[in-house]
Amino acid sequence: MASSLLHPPAHLSPAVALQLSQQAPYLLRTTPSAISPYSMSSLWSAAESPELWTTYENLMLSCLRTGDEQSAHLCLERLTERFGADNERLMALRGLFQEAIANDNDALKKVLKEYENILVEDPANMPVSKRRIALLISMDRTTEAITALNNFLDASPTDAEAWSELSDLYVSSGMFPQAIFALEEVLLVTPNAWNIHARLGEVLYMASSSETGSVQHLAESMRRFCRSIELCDDYLRGYYGLKMTTTKLLTTLSQSQVSRQSKSDTGLPLPGVKSVERLSELATAKLSEIVRRNTGGDAGWQGYEKPEIIAAQELLNRDAAPITR
Amino acid sequence: MTWLSTSITGFGFVLLAHACYSAHEHSALHSTSTASLSSLTSHGPSVSAVAALPIDISIETIVAILTICLGLVLGTPELRPIQWRVWAGQIEREGEKGFMNGDGEVDKDYVGNPFKVLESRPGFVDIRKQRKEFAEWVREGGSVEG
Repeated sequence: MASSLLHPPAHLSPAVALQLSQQAPYLLRTTPSAISPYSMSSLWSAAESPELWTTYENLMLSCLRTGDEQSAHLCLERLTERFGADNERLMALRGLFQEAIANDNDALKKVLKEYENILVEDPANMPVSKRRIALLISMDRTTEAITALNNFLDASPTDAEAWSELSDLYVSSGMFPQAIFALEEVLLVTPNAWNIHARLGEVLYMASSSETGSVQHLAESMRRFCRSIELCDDYLRGYYGLKMTTTKLLTTLSQSQVSRQSKSDTGLPLPGVKSVERLSELATAKLSEIVRRNTGGDAGWQGYEKPEIIAAQELLNRDAAPITR
Repeated sequence: MTWLSTSITGFGFVLLAHACYSAHEHSALHSTSTASLSSLTSHGPSVSAVAALPIDISIETIVAILTICLGLVLGTPELRPIQWRVWAGQIEREGEKGFMNGDGEVDKDYVGNPFKVLESRPGFVDIRKQRKEFAEWVREGGSVEG
Protein backbone atom coordinates (compact mmCIF):
# COMPACT_ATOMS: atom_id res chain seq x y z
CA MET A 1 0.00 0.00 0.00
CA ALA A 2 2.91 2.31 0.67
CA SER A 3 3.75 2.26 -3.00
CA SER A 4 0.58 4.11 -3.92
CA LEU A 5 1.80 7.07 -1.85
CA LEU A 6 4.56 7.49 -4.40
CA HIS A 7 2.10 8.27 -7.19
CA PRO A 8 -0.24 11.23 -7.58
CA PRO A 9 -3.46 10.19 -5.83
CA ALA A 10 -5.95 11.90 -8.15
CA HIS A 11 -7.27 8.74 -9.77
CA LEU A 12 -7.58 6.67 -6.60
CA SER A 13 -10.97 5.56 -5.37
CA PRO A 14 -12.40 7.28 -2.28
CA ALA A 15 -11.85 4.13 -0.23
CA VAL A 16 -8.14 4.06 -0.98
CA ALA A 17 -7.84 7.80 -0.35
CA LEU A 18 -9.52 7.39 3.02
CA GLN A 19 -7.23 4.53 3.89
CA LEU A 20 -4.18 6.58 2.96
CA SER A 21 -5.24 9.59 4.97
CA GLN A 22 -6.04 7.41 7.96
CA GLN A 23 -2.43 6.34 7.92
CA ALA A 24 -1.36 9.98 8.01
CA PRO A 25 -0.94 10.48 11.80
CA TYR A 26 1.12 7.32 12.02
CA LEU A 27 3.23 8.21 8.99
CA LEU A 28 3.78 11.74 10.23
CA ARG A 29 4.99 10.40 13.56
CA THR A 30 7.36 7.83 12.11
CA THR A 31 8.85 9.59 9.09
CA PRO A 32 11.58 12.13 9.76
CA SER A 33 10.41 15.71 9.60
CA ALA A 34 13.64 17.20 8.41
CA ILE A 35 17.00 15.89 7.35
CA SER A 36 19.90 18.21 7.89
CA PRO A 37 22.60 17.57 5.34
CA TYR A 38 25.62 18.09 7.57
CA SER A 39 25.31 16.77 11.06
CA MET A 40 26.55 13.91 13.16
CA SER A 41 23.19 12.19 13.05
CA SER A 42 23.39 11.80 9.28
CA LEU A 43 26.08 9.21 9.91
CA TRP A 44 23.68 6.67 11.33
CA SER A 45 20.21 7.75 10.23
CA ALA A 46 18.87 6.80 6.82
CA ALA A 47 19.86 8.89 3.86
CA GLU A 48 17.42 11.40 2.48
CA SER A 49 15.46 9.94 -0.42
CA PRO A 50 13.31 11.72 -2.98
CA GLU A 51 10.55 9.25 -2.12
CA LEU A 52 10.20 10.85 1.30
CA TRP A 53 9.16 14.20 -0.13
CA THR A 54 6.94 12.63 -2.79
CA THR A 55 5.23 10.78 0.02
CA TYR A 56 4.64 14.04 1.90
CA GLU A 57 3.19 15.71 -1.17
CA ASN A 58 0.84 12.86 -2.01
CA LEU A 59 -0.14 12.37 1.61
CA MET A 60 -1.07 16.03 1.74
CA LEU A 61 -3.28 15.68 -1.34
CA SER A 62 -5.03 12.62 0.09
CA CYS A 63 -5.57 14.34 3.44
CA LEU A 64 -7.00 17.42 1.78
CA ARG A 65 -9.37 15.24 -0.18
CA THR A 66 -10.66 13.49 2.91
CA GLY A 67 -10.85 16.71 4.92
CA ASP A 68 -8.00 16.00 7.35
CA GLU A 69 -6.65 19.54 7.18
CA GLN A 70 -4.44 19.22 10.26
CA SER A 71 -2.29 16.47 8.78
CA ALA A 72 -2.25 18.24 5.45
CA HIS A 73 -0.99 21.39 7.09
CA LEU A 74 1.71 19.47 8.89
CA CYS A 75 2.87 17.95 5.58
CA LEU A 76 2.94 21.39 4.03
CA GLU A 77 4.93 22.79 6.93
CA ARG A 78 7.54 20.07 6.71
CA LEU A 79 7.85 20.53 2.96
CA THR A 80 8.26 24.26 3.45
CA GLU A 81 10.91 23.66 6.09
CA ARG A 82 12.86 21.57 3.62
CA PHE A 83 12.47 23.48 0.37
CA GLY A 84 11.76 27.03 1.46
CA ALA A 85 8.66 29.11 0.94
CA ASP A 86 9.78 30.50 -2.43
CA ASN A 87 9.97 27.11 -4.11
CA GLU A 88 7.68 27.22 -7.16
CA ARG A 89 6.10 23.86 -6.52
CA LEU A 90 5.48 24.72 -2.89
CA MET A 91 3.82 28.00 -3.84
CA ALA A 92 1.38 25.95 -5.89
CA LEU A 93 0.87 23.47 -3.06
CA ARG A 94 0.21 26.27 -0.59
CA GLY A 95 -2.33 27.72 -2.99
CA LEU A 96 -3.93 24.31 -3.29
CA PHE A 97 -4.25 24.12 0.47
CA GLN A 98 -5.90 27.52 0.62
CA GLU A 99 -8.28 26.54 -2.18
CA ALA A 100 -9.26 23.46 -0.26
CA ILE A 101 -10.04 25.27 2.99
CA ALA A 102 -11.78 28.21 1.27
CA ASN A 103 -15.46 28.01 2.08
CA ASP A 104 -16.98 30.78 -0.01
CA ASN A 105 -16.48 32.50 -3.33
CA ASP A 106 -14.73 35.53 -1.81
CA ALA A 107 -12.01 33.36 -0.32
CA LEU A 108 -11.51 31.72 -3.70
CA LYS A 109 -11.24 35.11 -5.36
CA LYS A 110 -8.59 36.03 -2.84
CA VAL A 111 -6.60 32.92 -3.71
CA LEU A 112 -6.95 33.75 -7.39
CA LYS A 113 -5.72 37.27 -6.73
CA GLU A 114 -2.74 35.84 -4.89
CA TYR A 115 -1.89 33.61 -7.84
CA GLU A 116 -2.06 36.59 -10.13
CA ASN A 117 0.26 38.57 -7.88
CA ILE A 118 2.78 35.74 -7.94
CA LEU A 119 2.53 35.54 -11.71
CA VAL A 120 3.10 39.28 -12.12
CA GLU A 121 6.36 38.92 -10.23
CA ASP A 122 7.41 35.77 -12.03
CA PRO A 123 5.44 34.96 -15.18
CA ALA A 124 7.50 31.79 -15.74
CA ASN A 125 6.17 30.10 -12.60
CA MET A 126 4.65 27.03 -14.26
CA PRO A 127 3.08 25.25 -11.26
CA VAL A 128 1.31 28.40 -10.12
CA SER A 129 -0.01 29.25 -13.57
CA LYS A 130 -1.36 25.71 -13.78
CA ARG A 131 -3.05 26.16 -10.41
CA ARG A 132 -4.56 29.43 -11.58
CA ILE A 133 -6.07 27.70 -14.60
CA ALA A 134 -7.32 24.83 -12.45
CA LEU A 135 -8.96 27.32 -10.09
CA LEU A 136 -10.63 29.09 -13.01
CA ILE A 137 -12.05 25.74 -14.17
CA SER A 138 -13.17 24.96 -10.66
CA MET A 139 -15.01 28.31 -10.50
CA ASP A 140 -16.81 27.44 -13.77
CA ARG A 141 -15.09 30.19 -15.75
CA THR A 142 -14.35 27.86 -18.65
CA THR A 143 -13.81 30.41 -21.42
CA GLU A 144 -11.30 32.33 -19.31
CA ALA A 145 -9.56 29.07 -18.49
CA ILE A 146 -9.34 28.15 -22.18
CA THR A 147 -7.78 31.52 -23.00
CA ALA A 148 -5.32 31.21 -20.12
CA LEU A 149 -4.41 27.67 -21.16
CA ASN A 150 -3.82 28.78 -24.73
CA ASN A 151 -1.48 31.51 -23.49
CA PHE A 152 0.25 28.98 -21.28
CA LEU A 153 0.73 26.62 -24.22
CA ASP A 154 2.09 29.42 -26.39
CA ALA A 155 4.85 29.75 -23.82
CA SER A 156 5.38 26.05 -23.29
CA PRO A 157 4.12 24.05 -26.26
CA THR A 158 5.62 20.72 -25.15
CA ASP A 159 3.59 20.41 -21.96
CA ALA A 160 1.54 17.28 -22.70
CA GLU A 161 -0.42 17.60 -19.47
CA ALA A 162 -1.66 21.07 -20.41
CA TRP A 163 -2.61 20.00 -23.93
CA SER A 164 -4.56 17.12 -22.47
CA GLU A 165 -6.35 19.43 -20.04
CA LEU A 166 -7.16 21.79 -22.89
CA SER A 167 -8.68 18.99 -24.93
CA ASP A 168 -10.90 18.04 -22.00
CA LEU A 169 -12.06 21.64 -21.68
CA TYR A 170 -12.88 21.74 -25.40
CA VAL A 171 -14.78 18.47 -25.15
CA SER A 172 -16.82 19.79 -22.25
CA SER A 173 -17.78 22.82 -24.33
CA GLY A 174 -18.54 20.68 -27.37
CA MET A 175 -15.72 22.00 -29.58
CA PHE A 176 -14.59 18.68 -31.00
CA PRO A 177 -12.22 19.79 -33.80
CA GLN A 178 -10.19 21.81 -31.29
CA ALA A 179 -10.21 18.95 -28.79
CA ILE A 180 -8.94 16.55 -31.45
CA PHE A 181 -6.17 18.97 -32.36
CA ALA A 182 -5.10 19.27 -28.72
CA LEU A 183 -4.99 15.50 -28.30
CA GLU A 184 -2.93 15.18 -31.46
CA GLU A 185 -0.48 17.59 -29.89
CA VAL A 186 -0.30 15.34 -26.83
CA LEU A 187 0.52 12.45 -29.14
CA LEU A 188 3.32 14.44 -30.75
CA VAL A 189 4.98 14.66 -27.33
CA THR A 190 4.18 11.12 -26.18
CA PRO A 191 3.59 9.04 -29.31
CA ASN A 192 3.51 5.75 -27.42
CA ALA A 193 0.81 6.66 -24.90
CA TRP A 194 -1.76 3.97 -25.56
CA ASN A 195 -4.39 5.53 -23.33
CA ILE A 196 -4.15 8.84 -25.19
CA HIS A 197 -4.65 7.04 -28.50
CA ALA A 198 -7.77 5.46 -27.02
CA ARG A 199 -8.88 8.84 -25.67
CA LEU A 200 -8.46 10.41 -29.10
CA GLY A 201 -10.52 7.55 -30.51
CA GLU A 202 -13.24 8.29 -27.99
CA VAL A 203 -13.27 12.00 -28.79
CA LEU A 204 -13.41 11.23 -32.51
CA TYR A 205 -16.31 8.88 -31.84
CA MET A 206 -18.11 11.63 -29.93
CA ALA A 207 -17.35 14.05 -32.77
CA SER A 208 -18.82 11.63 -35.30
CA SER A 209 -22.11 11.54 -33.41
CA SER A 210 -22.32 15.33 -33.10
CA GLU A 211 -24.17 17.25 -35.82
CA THR A 212 -21.01 18.24 -37.72
CA GLY A 213 -19.63 14.73 -37.56
CA SER A 214 -18.96 12.58 -40.57
CA VAL A 215 -18.13 9.01 -41.38
CA GLN A 216 -14.51 10.13 -41.78
CA HIS A 217 -14.38 10.80 -38.05
CA LEU A 218 -15.66 7.33 -37.38
CA ALA A 219 -13.04 5.71 -39.60
CA GLU A 220 -10.30 7.78 -37.98
CA SER A 221 -11.62 6.81 -34.56
CA MET A 222 -11.41 3.14 -35.52
CA ARG A 223 -7.81 3.61 -36.65
CA ARG A 224 -6.92 5.27 -33.34
CA PHE A 225 -8.36 2.39 -31.36
CA CYS A 226 -6.42 -0.03 -33.56
CA ARG A 227 -3.24 1.88 -32.79
CA SER A 228 -3.89 1.75 -29.05
CA ILE A 229 -4.33 -2.03 -29.28
CA GLU A 230 -1.15 -2.24 -31.33
CA LEU A 231 0.69 -0.47 -28.51
CA CYS A 232 -0.82 -2.54 -25.70
CA ASP A 233 -1.84 -6.19 -25.76
CA ASP A 234 -5.27 -7.05 -24.35
CA TYR A 235 -6.20 -3.38 -23.84
CA LEU A 236 -9.81 -3.53 -22.71
CA ARG A 237 -10.56 0.13 -23.42
CA GLY A 238 -9.10 -0.17 -26.92
CA TYR A 239 -11.10 -3.29 -27.79
CA TYR A 240 -14.25 -1.77 -26.33
CA GLY A 241 -13.82 1.28 -28.53
CA LEU A 242 -12.99 -0.85 -31.54
CA LYS A 243 -16.18 -2.84 -31.04
CA MET A 244 -18.27 0.34 -30.73
CA THR A 245 -16.77 2.02 -33.79
CA THR A 246 -16.85 -1.02 -36.05
CA THR A 247 -20.49 -1.73 -35.18
CA LYS A 248 -21.45 1.83 -36.01
CA LEU A 249 -19.23 1.94 -39.07
CA LEU A 250 -20.79 -1.22 -40.49
CA THR A 251 -24.30 0.24 -40.34
CA THR A 252 -23.12 3.56 -41.82
CA LEU A 253 -21.17 1.94 -44.63
CA SER A 254 -24.04 -0.30 -45.64
CA GLN A 255 -26.40 2.71 -45.72
CA SER A 256 -24.28 5.03 -47.82
CA GLN A 257 -22.25 3.30 -50.47
CA VAL A 258 -22.39 6.32 -52.77
CA SER A 259 -20.79 8.90 -50.50
CA ARG A 260 -17.78 6.68 -50.10
CA GLN A 261 -16.13 7.76 -53.33
CA SER A 262 -16.92 11.46 -53.01
CA LYS A 263 -15.50 11.84 -49.52
CA SER A 264 -12.44 9.70 -49.87
CA ASP A 265 -10.37 12.36 -51.61
CA THR A 266 -10.29 14.62 -48.53
CA GLY A 267 -8.23 12.24 -46.43
CA LEU A 268 -7.45 8.60 -46.06
CA PRO A 269 -9.86 6.35 -47.95
CA LEU A 270 -12.56 4.70 -45.90
CA PRO A 271 -11.85 1.13 -44.89
CA GLY A 272 -13.52 -1.67 -46.78
CA VAL A 273 -16.54 -3.44 -45.32
CA LYS A 274 -14.63 -6.71 -45.24
CA SER A 275 -11.83 -5.46 -43.03
CA VAL A 276 -14.21 -3.64 -40.71
CA GLU A 277 -16.16 -6.87 -40.29
CA ARG A 278 -13.03 -8.78 -39.45
CA LEU A 279 -11.95 -6.14 -36.95
CA SER A 280 -15.37 -6.30 -35.33
CA GLU A 281 -15.09 -10.07 -35.00
CA LEU A 282 -11.64 -9.74 -33.49
CA ALA A 283 -12.86 -7.20 -30.96
CA THR A 284 -15.76 -9.42 -29.95
CA ALA A 285 -13.50 -12.43 -29.54
CA LYS A 286 -10.95 -10.49 -27.50
CA LEU A 287 -13.53 -8.80 -25.30
CA SER A 288 -15.21 -12.08 -24.47
CA GLU A 289 -11.83 -13.65 -23.71
CA ILE A 290 -10.93 -10.81 -21.35
CA VAL A 291 -14.30 -10.92 -19.58
CA ARG A 292 -14.22 -14.71 -19.32
CA ARG A 293 -10.71 -14.86 -17.93
CA ASN A 294 -11.22 -11.98 -15.51
CA THR A 295 -14.48 -13.27 -14.07
CA GLY A 296 -13.10 -16.80 -14.03
CA GLY A 297 -10.45 -15.64 -11.58
CA ASP A 298 -7.56 -16.42 -13.92
CA ALA A 299 -4.28 -15.37 -12.33
CA GLY A 300 -2.64 -12.62 -14.36
CA TRP A 301 -5.92 -11.19 -15.66
CA GLN A 302 -7.04 -9.41 -12.52
CA GLY A 303 -5.62 -5.94 -13.26
CA TYR A 304 -8.74 -4.66 -15.00
CA GLU A 305 -11.11 -2.36 -13.21
CA LYS A 306 -14.41 -3.86 -12.19
CA PRO A 307 -16.68 -1.25 -13.85
CA GLU A 308 -14.82 -1.67 -17.13
CA ILE A 309 -15.39 -5.42 -17.09
CA ILE A 310 -19.09 -4.93 -16.34
CA ALA A 311 -19.39 -2.44 -19.20
CA ALA A 312 -17.67 -4.85 -21.59
CA GLN A 313 -20.02 -7.63 -20.50
CA GLU A 314 -22.95 -5.32 -21.13
CA LEU A 315 -21.70 -4.50 -24.62
CA LEU A 316 -21.27 -8.17 -25.46
CA ASN A 317 -24.76 -8.99 -24.17
CA ARG A 318 -26.25 -6.19 -26.25
CA ASP A 319 -24.49 -7.59 -29.28
CA ALA A 320 -25.56 -11.17 -28.60
CA ALA A 321 -29.22 -10.42 -27.87
CA PRO A 322 -30.47 -10.13 -31.50
CA ILE A 323 -28.85 -13.43 -32.39
CA THR A 324 -30.50 -15.43 -29.64
CA ARG A 325 -33.89 -13.93 -30.29
CA MET B 1 14.85 -21.25 -6.44
CA THR B 2 16.53 -18.54 -4.41
CA TRP B 3 17.95 -20.90 -1.77
CA LEU B 4 19.47 -23.02 -4.55
CA SER B 5 21.23 -20.05 -6.17
CA THR B 6 22.41 -18.68 -2.82
CA SER B 7 23.82 -22.00 -1.75
CA ILE B 8 25.60 -22.50 -5.07
CA THR B 9 27.06 -18.99 -4.89
CA GLY B 10 28.10 -19.56 -1.27
CA PHE B 11 29.76 -22.84 -2.17
CA GLY B 12 31.63 -21.09 -4.99
CA PHE B 13 32.90 -18.42 -2.62
CA VAL B 14 34.10 -21.07 -0.15
CA LEU B 15 36.00 -22.78 -2.99
CA LEU B 16 37.47 -19.46 -4.10
CA ALA B 17 38.56 -18.58 -0.57
CA HIS B 18 40.11 -21.99 -0.20
CA ALA B 19 41.99 -21.62 -3.48
CA CYS B 20 43.31 -18.18 -2.46
CA TYR B 21 44.41 -19.47 0.92
CA SER B 22 46.16 -22.46 -0.71
CA ALA B 23 47.96 -20.18 -3.15
CA HIS B 24 49.09 -17.88 -0.34
CA GLU B 25 50.31 -20.78 1.77
CA HIS B 26 52.09 -22.31 -1.17
CA SER B 27 53.97 -19.13 -2.04
CA ALA B 28 54.88 -18.50 1.63
CA LEU B 29 56.21 -22.00 2.08
CA HIS B 30 58.00 -21.91 -1.21
CA SER B 31 59.74 -18.59 -0.58
CA THR B 32 60.92 -19.50 2.93
CA SER B 33 62.24 -22.84 1.78
CA THR B 34 64.08 -21.33 -1.20
CA ALA B 35 65.40 -18.49 0.99
CA SER B 36 66.78 -20.84 3.59
CA LEU B 37 68.21 -23.06 0.87
CA SER B 38 69.85 -20.19 -0.97
CA SER B 39 71.30 -18.72 2.24
CA LEU B 40 72.85 -22.09 2.92
CA THR B 41 74.40 -22.54 -0.50
CA SER B 42 75.29 -19.18 -1.96
CA HIS B 43 74.70 -15.40 -1.61
CA GLY B 44 73.88 -14.79 -5.29
CA PRO B 45 70.50 -13.56 -6.52
CA SER B 46 67.78 -16.11 -5.83
CA VAL B 47 66.56 -17.89 -8.93
CA SER B 48 62.79 -18.14 -9.53
CA ALA B 49 61.57 -16.86 -6.16
CA VAL B 50 58.00 -17.87 -6.91
CA ALA B 51 57.68 -21.11 -8.78
CA ALA B 52 54.56 -21.97 -10.78
CA LEU B 53 51.46 -22.79 -8.72
CA PRO B 54 50.48 -26.42 -8.54
CA ILE B 55 47.86 -27.37 -11.12
CA ASP B 56 45.19 -28.32 -8.55
CA ILE B 57 45.06 -24.79 -7.12
CA SER B 58 44.55 -23.29 -10.59
CA ILE B 59 41.80 -25.77 -11.36
CA GLU B 60 40.10 -25.05 -8.05
CA THR B 61 40.12 -21.29 -8.76
CA ILE B 62 38.56 -21.73 -12.20
CA VAL B 63 35.92 -24.13 -10.89
CA ALA B 64 35.11 -21.72 -8.05
CA ILE B 65 34.61 -18.80 -10.45
CA LEU B 66 32.39 -20.86 -12.74
CA THR B 67 30.32 -21.99 -9.74
CA ILE B 68 29.87 -18.41 -8.54
CA CYS B 69 28.80 -17.34 -12.03
CA LEU B 70 26.28 -20.18 -12.20
CA GLY B 71 24.86 -19.25 -8.80
CA LEU B 72 24.50 -15.57 -9.72
CA VAL B 73 22.87 -16.34 -13.06
CA LEU B 74 20.39 -18.70 -11.39
CA GLY B 75 19.54 -16.00 -8.87
CA THR B 76 18.60 -13.25 -11.34
CA PRO B 77 15.02 -11.97 -11.10
CA GLU B 78 12.57 -12.70 -13.87
CA LEU B 79 13.31 -10.81 -17.05
CA ARG B 80 11.06 -7.93 -17.97
CA PRO B 81 9.40 -7.83 -21.39
CA ILE B 82 11.33 -5.74 -23.88
CA GLN B 83 8.55 -5.36 -26.40
CA TRP B 84 6.44 -2.29 -25.77
CA ARG B 85 3.07 -3.89 -26.38
CA VAL B 86 3.86 -6.92 -24.22
CA TRP B 87 5.03 -4.70 -21.38
CA ALA B 88 2.02 -2.39 -21.68
CA GLY B 89 -0.29 -5.37 -21.90
CA GLN B 90 1.17 -6.79 -18.73
CA ILE B 91 0.48 -3.53 -16.91
CA GLU B 92 -3.13 -3.47 -18.09
CA ARG B 93 -3.82 -7.16 -17.62
CA GLU B 94 -2.11 -7.89 -14.33
CA GLY B 95 -1.98 -4.52 -12.61
CA GLU B 96 0.18 -4.31 -9.50
CA LYS B 97 0.19 -8.07 -9.02
CA GLY B 98 2.29 -8.64 -12.12
CA PHE B 99 5.15 -6.65 -10.67
CA MET B 100 5.52 -8.22 -7.25
CA ASN B 101 8.92 -9.41 -6.16
CA GLY B 102 9.56 -12.51 -4.11
CA ASP B 103 8.43 -10.96 -0.82
CA GLY B 104 4.95 -10.12 -2.06
CA GLU B 105 5.71 -6.42 -2.29
CA VAL B 106 5.22 -4.35 -5.39
CA ASP B 107 8.47 -3.35 -7.04
CA LYS B 108 9.66 0.10 -6.08
CA ASP B 109 10.00 1.35 -9.62
CA TYR B 110 6.53 0.17 -10.64
CA VAL B 111 4.48 3.14 -11.79
CA GLY B 112 1.59 1.43 -13.55
CA ASN B 113 0.70 3.10 -16.80
CA PRO B 114 3.21 5.97 -16.97
CA PHE B 115 0.86 7.91 -19.23
CA LYS B 116 -1.99 7.85 -16.76
CA VAL B 117 -0.82 11.25 -15.47
CA LEU B 118 -1.95 12.68 -18.79
CA GLU B 119 -5.50 11.79 -17.80
CA SER B 120 -5.39 12.33 -14.05
CA ARG B 121 -3.25 15.50 -14.44
CA PRO B 122 -1.93 16.22 -10.94
CA GLY B 123 -0.89 19.74 -11.97
CA PHE B 124 -4.48 20.72 -12.63
CA VAL B 125 -6.13 18.83 -9.79
CA ASP B 126 -9.51 20.29 -8.80
CA ILE B 127 -9.30 19.78 -5.06
CA ARG B 128 -12.69 21.31 -4.28
CA LYS B 129 -14.49 18.94 -6.62
CA GLN B 130 -12.59 16.02 -5.12
CA ARG B 131 -13.59 17.07 -1.62
CA LYS B 132 -17.21 17.39 -2.64
CA GLU B 133 -17.18 13.97 -4.25
CA PHE B 134 -15.53 12.46 -1.23
CA ALA B 135 -18.08 13.99 1.13
CA GLU B 136 -20.86 12.59 -1.04
CA TRP B 137 -19.25 9.18 -1.01
CA VAL B 138 -19.09 9.28 2.79
CA ARG B 139 -22.73 10.36 2.99
CA GLU B 140 -23.71 7.38 0.87
CA GLY B 141 -22.13 5.17 3.49
CA GLY B 142 -18.76 4.41 1.95
CA SER B 143 -16.03 3.01 4.12
CA VAL B 144 -12.59 1.49 3.71
CA GLU B 145 -14.07 -1.94 3.12
CA GLY B 146 -16.73 -0.72 0.68
